[in-house]
Amino acid sequence: MIVDETAVEVRRRFRVAPEKVFAAFSEARWVARWLSPSPDIRLSLLQFQFREGGAYRFAYHVPGGQVMTVRGAYRLIDRPSKIVFSWVIEPPDEHAGLDSEVIVTITPDGEFTELLIRHEKLTRPAAGARHAEGWRGALDQLAALLEQSGAYHAD
Amino acid sequence: MRLAPATGRTYSHMTMQRLSNLDRTFRALADGTRRSMIHVLARGEARSAGELGRQFRSAQPTISNHLKVLEQAGLVERTIEGRIHRFRLRQKPLKEAGSWIIRHQAFWNGAVDQLDRLLPEIAGNDRG
Repeated sequence: MIVDETAVEVRRRFRVAPEKVFAAFSEARWVARWLSPSPDIRLSLLQFQFREGGAYRFAYHVPGGQVMTVRGAYRLIDRPSKIVFSWVIEPPDEHAGLDSEVIVTITPDGEFTELLIRHEKLTRPAAGARHAEGWRGALDQLAALLEQSGAYHAD
Repeated sequence: MRLAPATGRTYSHMTMQRLSNLDRTFRALADGTRRSMIHVLARGEARSAGELGRQFRSAQPTISNHLKVLEQAGLVERTIEGRIHRFRLRQKPLKEAGSWIIRHQAFWNGAVDQLDRLLPEIAGNDRG
């Protein structure tokens, strides 16, 4: 779900132990097999140092030959319950240079494990726009507008 | 919303320029009056500065200034007929701003779907 104008969250329950979910983030052989938006966008790990302060660099191969590269560093690792890493997309992407952050929380729940991925700091508020009007709610407004005008479905 | 199938296409159309465009769009949207003006223009008809001024009960210079910000962000386009300036909404920057957050949502939803399919294999692995 879209939490506010700067963050998104995805929450899912799996019927496996927390350690197994953690392994999906901590071991290169597993990471490469799921951490992309769809099976046709292949991920190759250019760099993968899974330790606090360690760096990673992921290349996403989009059908048609384009590559999107993401890099970052592991800021906090608390096995098997929490992982925090920065997420910076490299040029020429439209989001290039934006220093966002991903917070992974893994919580046991009986025979299940709940995974919460929160991706935040996705926007950089314009200077001077932080107060008063700010731009709180701007995206809500936007979404309503786009729904209304039908622009969402247009190409 | 057809998010998943569009993902590949979204990732393949990227330019540096769009980042600064996006910054301008968000800056322009960071004001309640300007958002209301967009709302009014979203009905599709072009409005003159005078019409918009009456609707918002603001001084004309204030309205002109808001319209200038929206124009610079590419959110509205201006046509001039004699002395009348008319403004019409441009949807492209709005779409780009909207897809900014949604693209990340789609990314993680897609990834977690893939994780769901992979976990049985990880769980079945001794060293997993």
